[in-house]
Amino acid sequence: MLAQTSPDFTFDQTQIVLYRDTNKIDDFKIYRGQITESDLSTTNPILGEIREEDKRLHFFPLVPFTYNQEYTIVYENIIDYFIIKTPPKSYKPLKVEAIYPSSKILPSNILKWYIQFSNPISEVFVYNHIRFLNAVGDTIPRSILPLENALISDNGKLLTVWIEPGRQKRGLIPNTKLGPVFNKDGFNKYSLVVLKTLEDQNGVGMKKDFMHSFQTTIADRNKPTINSWNLIPPKINSTSSLIIDCNESLDYGSTLNNISILHNKENEIQGTWKLSDHETILEFTPIYPWKKGIYHIVFSPKIEDLAGNSLERLFDHKINELTDDNSSNSIYEYKIQFILK
Amino acid sequence: MKTYLTSTILSIFLFSTFTIQANSSLKSDFKTGDPGITSINSMFFGPEGILFIGDSKSAQIVAVDLSKHAKTDNSKVKINQLDNLIADMLGSKVDQIQITDMAVNPENNNIYLSILHSSGKVVLLRVDNNTLKVVPLDNVSFSKTTLLDPVAKEAKDKRGRELRKWAVADIKYSSGKVLLSGLSNKEFASTFRSIDFPFSKEQNYSSLEIYHAAHGKYETHAPIKTFIPTKIKGNTHIVAGYTCTPLVVFPINEIKPGKHNKGRTVAELGSGNSPVDIIEIGSEDKHYLLIANNNRPLMKMDFKDLEAYEDSLTTPVTKKGAAEGVSYVNLPFVNVQQLDKYGDTDFLMVQRESNGNLALKMGSSWWVK
Repeated sequence: MLAQTSPDFTFDQTQIVLYRDTNKIDDFKIYRGQITESDLSTTNPILGEIREEDKRLHFFPLVPFTYNQEYTIVYENIIDYFIIKTPPKSYKPLKVEAIYPSSKILPSNILKWYIQFSNPISEVFVYNHIRFLNAVGDTIPRSILPLENALISDNGKLLTVWIEPGRQKRGLIPNTKLGPVFNKDGFNKYSLVVLKTLEDQNGVGMKKDFMHSFQTTIADRNKPTINSWNLIPPKINSTSSLIIDCNESLDYGSTLNNISILHNKENEIQGTWKLSDHETILEFTPIYPWKKGIYHIVFSPKIEDLAGNSLERLFDHKINELTDDNSSNSIYEYKIQFILK
Repeated sequence: MKTYLTSTILSIFLFSTFTIQANSSLKSDFKTGDPGITSINSMFFGPEGILFIGDSKSAQIVAVDLSKHAKTDNSKVKINQLDNLIADMLGSKVDQIQITDMAVNPENNNIYLSILHSSGKVVLLRVDNNTLKVVPLDNVSFSKTTLLDPVAKEAKDKRGRELRKWAVADIKYSSGKVLLSGLSNKEFASTFRSIDFPFSKEQNYSSLEIYHAAHGKYETHAPIKTFIPTKIKGNTHIVAGYTCTPLVVFPINEIKPGKHNKGRTVAELGSGNSPVDIIEIGSEDKHYLLIANNNRPLMKMDFKDLEAYEDSLTTPVTKKGAAEGVSYVNLPFVNVQQLDKYGDTDFLMVQRESNGNLALKMGSSWWVK
């Protein structure tokens, strides 16, 4: 029979500190849930590391303790329970900070979404927490590519969501049997929903579901063409921005960090790119003032529009239809030149 | 005397060096320490108890020597409530853990499960007498290589820019090469990599392109979800399951670095379905592919049918009800989330059973005999 007298201990998400009676042999275990004495022998204790000090025992769990989860602590012949309640009031709960594409009108063959979160998110079955709803609020089945490993940025905050490509691409069995995910007309109003069940890495969820409404229109089956983009050159001897109007929304992920500017064919200009106006405007702000000379803006062939059409190739095209600019194995460069005098 | 002692020590040293190299040329550059594994997207056992781990977060492939785990008999393994057991051991809620992969060491029958926790931490577990033990990864014998996108690597070196993320979808080992398929978080691209092992600086990148022509006219760069290197009519091929359902074969000797490779679509696995794992199982005369799916039961495909099928679904099917490639049968195992072979003729799976129980168990080999 274990005693109910509480052992003297403190805890947080990362460790338990127990003040020990040094005369005793240390038998110190932690269990998930409120475990009764009779169930202890059939329950696995939590994995972790115990470090001994003169008057204290430290238990470091292999992974952090979870908020609002009960735990059982057993020390020698004493059993007690604890729970880590919700985080402090100063804790900023998870929220969606941005959605890309941000435009409310999108091509019906849109391929990718990017969700920018405020905190690093839990990647556990992350795509189960994301839905697309139709105009009457029904979930669209099989709309998201069910990836086992999340496609997420290094800082854990930018999640890539792929629309099921087999339904977006013409001629595939999912496309022919289930149809495309989004309609180009008629019932073409939708919502992207991030459920509040999605938690951050500390196990804290959003306060409510996030909803982003949008409408789809005719499919985009054209490659973006840089020759049609309008460039507003910056002012010499200033750090004013270079502006490129792309005439259509570009894909957030494949565009940023995929462009460079060379001065006189040699030196790359340091600065920052940003997409604005529903990702139709590219804006580059240099760190140092612009100098006189010839500039080349070099675009990666991988830059895509919202439907997955890149500068070099269409997302889907007919067999034997040559669409690759480099299909003849010649290296095709995507460049725009401007001169500052 | 002194001379004698020195030469004896030298002899022992030379002998032991030779012994190590003779035993394992594959492990000759292994070192002991912490490989810094921060994610386990996919894993696979190569020869000599070497576990290959695809770690997208740290952009690396790590080869870990797990040969020292004793030979065991897991042929009667059955763990019910696997997710609850793992949650108990990690002190977490069940929905805060995900089994990202499972691998069986063919040399000693040890079973390993990689676990992702919501905090981002990863844990490798080993099945031990129908329960689980942690396999620490911070002090192991290992070798590793970087997994940087060639474009991004250049970008980082020259410009200090953010790297693209490349999630490893599947990893396999075949004849001195680690083979990988993966997905980018930015571009719609299908990249297939072949890396020499023992690791060198050379890495070959290819995109395996398919004619997606089941009834159609369009081709695609869709990513490969899972694949297996295998011999078809004596030649090594890659059998690849794509995210959008086709099963495609590529002769491995035609996969050239930096080149688009067009494969032969041999089957469709059903609309709205995505393959999860492919294994090869059987003996000389009875030889099958088993394919686990996220939205279809476990499928069995006879190798004889695969080898006999010489067409490609590239040609649009014009007749209603016409054959759509190599036939397969559905086995009575639904919701198989992880699959690996056990011995030559058995298979092991993690299955969500109809009563909700997540079970680690052997599949009945009756189905493949």
